[in-house]
Amino acid sequence: MSDGKEALAAARTVADRIRRTRRLNAMLTPPRELRQSLLAQAALTHPSGVLYGMPVAVKDNICTLEFTTTCGSRILEGYRSPYDATAVARLRGAGALIAGKTNCDEFGMGSSTEHSAYGRTLHPTDKHRVPGGSSGGSAALVGAGVVAAGLGSETGGSVRQPAAFCGVVGIKPTYGRVSRYGLVAFGSSLDQIGVFGRSVHDAARVLSVISGRDPRDSTCEDRDPLRLPTVPENLDGFVIGVPKEYFPVDLDPAVRRACERAIRIMKEMGAAVREVSLPHTAYAVPTYYIIAPAEASANLARFDGVRYGPRFDGHADVRALYRTTRGEGFGPEVRRRILIGTYVLSSGYYDAYYRKAQQLRALIAQDFRNAFDRGVDLLFTPTTPTPAFKAGEKLGDPVQMYLSDIFVVTANLAGLPAMSLPIGRIKGLPIGGQFIGQAFLEDEMLEAAYALERAVPATQEA
Amino acid sequence: MSVSRDEVLRIARLAELAVDEDALPTLVEHLSRILDYVAQLNAVPGGEGVKPFIPGPDAIRFRADEVKPWPLAFGPAEMAAAFRNGFFVVPKLAAFEEPE
Repeated sequence: MSDGKEALAAARTVADRIRRTRRLNAMLTPPRELRQSLLAQAALTHPSGVLYGMPVAVKDNICTLEFTTTCGSRILEGYRSPYDATAVARLRGAGALIAGKTNCDEFGMGSSTEHSAYGRTLHPTDKHRVPGGSSGGSAALVGAGVVAAGLGSETGGSVRQPAAFCGVVGIKPTYGRVSRYGLVAFGSSLDQIGVFGRSVHDAARVLSVISGRDPRDSTCEDRDPLRLPTVPENLDGFVIGVPKEYFPVDLDPAVRRACERAIRIMKEMGAAVREVSLPHTAYAVPTYYIIAPAEASANLARFDGVRYGPRFDGHADVRALYRTTRGEGFGPEVRRRILIGTYVLSSGYYDAYYRKAQQLRALIAQDFRNAFDRGVDLLFTPTTPTPAFKAGEKLGDPVQMYLSDIFVVTANLAGLPAMSLPIGRIKGLPIGGQFIGQAFLEDEMLEAAYALERAVPATQEA
Repeated sequence: MSVSRDEVLRIARLAELAVDEDALPTLVEHLSRILDYVAQLNAVPGGEGVKPFIPGPDAIRFRADEVKPWPLAFGPAEMAAAFRNGFFVVPKLAAFEEPE
């Protein structure tokens, strides 16, 4: 029986670890403020909680009462939310310790955590490489063994891609599984809060706690929290689809080898593996980069220097105030996406871009339904085309950066649950394998992941 | 299909975004690159008449129409850049108003 001291010990340990890993630039909360908060939380938390004493780092676009919520942006520098996000409130209720706010690409826009106003986050094992993004801070801290779990958010793969790069488990639940109350909006038809864990079980436990109905979010489905499946002995009865479009000829050979090894292992465990086709996959990235910026341009209109954050003024009229604040407060990638979004929604271009992208989105979602209707339970793919790339490598060409999300954006467009787990290494860098499941069948996806995690040599070279 | 410098400035005005003159050439180049890339969708056949896919609940659940305290730990005064007597303070809207 716990005497309540474990949480204090955990708080001290994690505060020390965060201080020692400052060079990663993964944590935005100052170490002293974080230590004080962790000790205060540990003193209050109750041992009966299912996540009692578990430190969970939270991406900086998810609102918390006691730390600032900046979304990695200058425009929200020093901003303190007047409420906790539902996911955060549920973590507290379950006894978890909120272990500070983590660095991210500004407003979740990026794939490398290089687009933060507070500097780039380093990969946990190779300082010259990126941890992925946009939830790179949470992924790096879990990957470095600093915290057991972290919250991130996904609009187009921002949990699974950094999870693959950092060698951890990352889960994006079905759209509507987890409340978005308190998640700063980027692309409202795509956004979901996701989780990182060092193991499938750690990530699944956190997901279970934060999931379930919430009257404060009308896009959250009226369902009970996710029930954790038991760890299966084997994969008998599972039909795993392998979509051929996710294994293009230019796929990194080591990523291909690691995926083929994982597929072989799943077959040995009793799964039936079938090749399937998702013919509209090639259009997912351009579709995403029309829909997400369009939604972002509307969502980010609220940041104008009046209601939130600093005001960059000295001008005579209110429109000049808006323009200066937004021009100086947003970084280059956010400005680019706001402009793209405004462009594709503007008169004369709406049909050519936005309407067409909506049609393609429907066809991409239909591809998945067709595969699942033919008896496939789950899909298995690489999470990313390559392991973690070098810092600065893709900054000069935004389209090259966007293409690093080619295998992950589809699940966001179709609203499906998906997860990445480590399946091997190449020259020490982790490689992720991805499961994509059917809507609200996260339990099936987790069962397969539990089985694969136990059998795959995730730390061995592929 | 590339965008011109004037088009970028027009879009920036619509988006209420000041654009730095020095950064403009790179911005025009990057936006053209992105728009050229996404324009490939126009060559994809099919999709006409397809119902747009919108994830989420089939129907919006309404809350009971009850007045409840707003669950905030502190009020707008502490969030706003400037706040006075229950109002957000912004610069004067019209030129004829006298500055204080």
